[in-house]
Amino acid sequence: METNKKTSRGKIIASGIIPFVFIILMMAYIFGPGSDLLDLGIPLPELTIENIDFVKSEIHVTVRNTGPTSVQISMADVNDRIQPAAIEPDKFLERYETALVIIPFEWNEAEPYTIGLTTDDGVRFERQIDAAVTALQPNLEFVAFFAIIGTYVGIIPVMIGLLWLPFIKKISKNKYHFFLSLTTGLLLFLGIDSVKEAFDVSSENLSSSFNAELLIATTLVLSFLGLYYASEKLTGKADSLKISKPVAIGLMIAIGIGLHNFGEGLAIGAAIGLGSIAFSTFLIIGFALHNTTEGLAIATPMSRGKLMVGKLIILGIIAGSPAIFGGWVGGFAYSPFSAVIFFSIGAGAIFQVIVIILKWIREEGEKNLSSASVVSGFAIGMLIMYATSILI
Amino acid sequence: MISLLLLVIGISTIMISPIFSDTQSEQKTFVTHSGSIVRTSGEIIDPLYTVSTVDFDPDEFLRNFEYGVISISETGQTIRDYTIIAEDDKIQEISPGVFYNVWTFNGTAPGPTIRATEGDLVRIHFINNGSKSHTMHFHGIHPAEMDGVFEIVGGGGGKFTYEFEAGPVGVHPYHCHVMPLEEHIVHGLYGVFIVDPKEGRVPADEMVMVLNGFDTDFDAENNFYAANTMPFYYQHHPIQINTDDLIRIYVVNMVEFDPINNFHLHGNLYQYYPTGTDLMPSFYTDMITLSQTERGIMEFQYHLPGKYLFHAHKVEFSEKGWVGLFLVKDNSESEVNYGN
Repeated sequence: METNKKTSRGKIIASGIIPFVFIILMMAYIFGPGSDLLDLGIPLPELTIENIDFVKSEIHVTVRNTGPTSVQISMADVNDRIQPAAIEPDKFLERYETALVIIPFEWNEAEPYTIGLTTDDGVRFERQIDAAVTALQPNLEFVAFFAIIGTYVGIIPVMIGLLWLPFIKKISKNKYHFFLSLTTGLLLFLGIDSVKEAFDVSSENLSSSFNAELLIATTLVLSFLGLYYASEKLTGKADSLKISKPVAIGLMIAIGIGLHNFGEGLAIGAAIGLGSIAFSTFLIIGFALHNTTEGLAIATPMSRGKLMVGKLIILGIIAGSPAIFGGWVGGFAYSPFSAVIFFSIGAGAIFQVIVIILKWIREEGEKNLSSASVVSGFAIGMLIMYATSILI
Repeated sequence: MISLLLLVIGISTIMISPIFSDTQSEQKTFVTHSGSIVRTSGEIIDPLYTVSTVDFDPDEFLRNFEYGVISISETGQTIRDYTIIAEDDKIQEISPGVFYNVWTFNGTAPGPTIRATEGDLVRIHFINNGSKSHTMHFHGIHPAEMDGVFEIVGGGGGKFTYEFEAGPVGVHPYHCHVMPLEEHIVHGLYGVFIVDPKEGRVPADEMVMVLNGFDTDFDAENNFYAANTMPFYYQHHPIQINTDDLIRIYVVNMVEFDPINNFHLHGNLYQYYPTGTDLMPSFYTDMITLSQTERGIMEFQYHLPGKYLFHAHKVEFSEKGWVGLFLVKDNSESEVNYGN
């Protein structure tokens, strides 16, 4: 009966929509014109200075209205001294709108500066820069500079780590499980590290209005689910795609690590861009040592297939090269929001890889994860990462 | 995977948008008060450059003296009646684009400059139209019950008449004395009370400067400083004076939070009479330091025309607005006319 079917479908649609109609009515009642139900309290304005660039004879300040109401920016100051400034596109900022404040100022290299902005109700918001350095311009020189740093931090260490492959290939099954779980330990540490980085960046630079903790949690779970789904499809179709299961797992690990390395690149680029130069040298050395373990993480599952040098190199590049892109983004267009997002995506990706490796160990081994080799490998992986992380 | 992709696209848009937001239409060029040139497609935020709706006119306040409604008593004493109304709900643009809840005597912060001659009977008919309690406490000599400390005048139309003989000779502040005192003062409930000597002073171009500050974000530090409320005002609108004219400034420091304030004059020195109580100057200087409610009279003349700066030599204050200019005009042809 065609018509019956149609009416029943209409009923389903209607029953799905009716609650929405009531939601809209409710919102209209609470927030609509003439409603003073929620007219309580005083909304406090809030500005977040997201970025400060020092260019020739000028200071460029990127500011976002992170408060509950629209605001007007009325005044700029440098070190708490009132300075004339230009503001683009204009001084009225709607919620979450950004503006660029240009302060003509003969600043001195390597000196600390506090930049303040005052709203129309006289509230001042400030941000301090530890050492002023000329903002990086995206010219060829710096693009190349970040490419070289990214190569040192990302690609080369991962490639060095991959050199463990022949060694892992020759060892017994127990020892192999040890190295697989060692990899898992390494990755778990990286995942936790990514989450920590995300929290650090958000607490330092991100306005509370972004609900950073929940943003991190949501992004992490979405990233985990998305990649988990993708990897299940990938390993499921491994045969038809003419890649072996070890390669599929290696690829997922490489993608997860790649996302993490993008975050690391962001951190390095931002550190250079924000003027903490000595800090960034430590970051580079630390990341380089740290990241050789990532090569090991990719090499371990790959050691169970045929030796495929070409594929190995590709995986190394997938895992390592995002550090270069991260460096570009971090150095030229740093925003704390994107940094938090990338660290969270990276963490989700890594946790997803951990789940896949654990499944792999279970399938490979005797369906248990409590053998001495697995437990000790896991623990030693964490310890190695902690030891190398102290260098950062 | 799709959600992830969307997320990445969304993030990149947020990330990149600030980079492209400045590729706007046409560029305008501005020269700021510090002499720097800004090219922008946007707006200028400069306390000097921006036109403000002047709720409070420092030019008008500068040379305005309230002598009251004058009558003579049976004993021949001059009686001066003043009506002062306190309010605490006024929002005033205290710097271009910055709005602050000022508490006012007769609608302005500072309140009117009350002027009398030594020995006059001063009668202040005080009406409190505010929502809080306020009083008027004069510095000077008067009976205890006229001190404006214990005689709290309630808001919403409370009344009190302060009555005392003007004295001693000099320049004194008056202010609200309701607790918490600092709050009532920093919101603007203060003004100047001048007592002239019976024999008068030498005619001069007279002006009042109240050195004040505003803590607009309530962190117990001033965000703005000024001579007569508006930051940078006299730098933008130089005070016009004539060569060889005697200039007399009644200066009162009402800045709270900062222990001291000071007054430095360029290209000249002034005779300084602390509190104005002595008719002989105590110092000949270009720099005096003033603590809270410390005040005095300055007298000087310029002999050469031009622009002369005056400002706090506590430079932090001058860079937050306590700075101004005298524009000295050649007096060779114009008549001396003292106005008051």
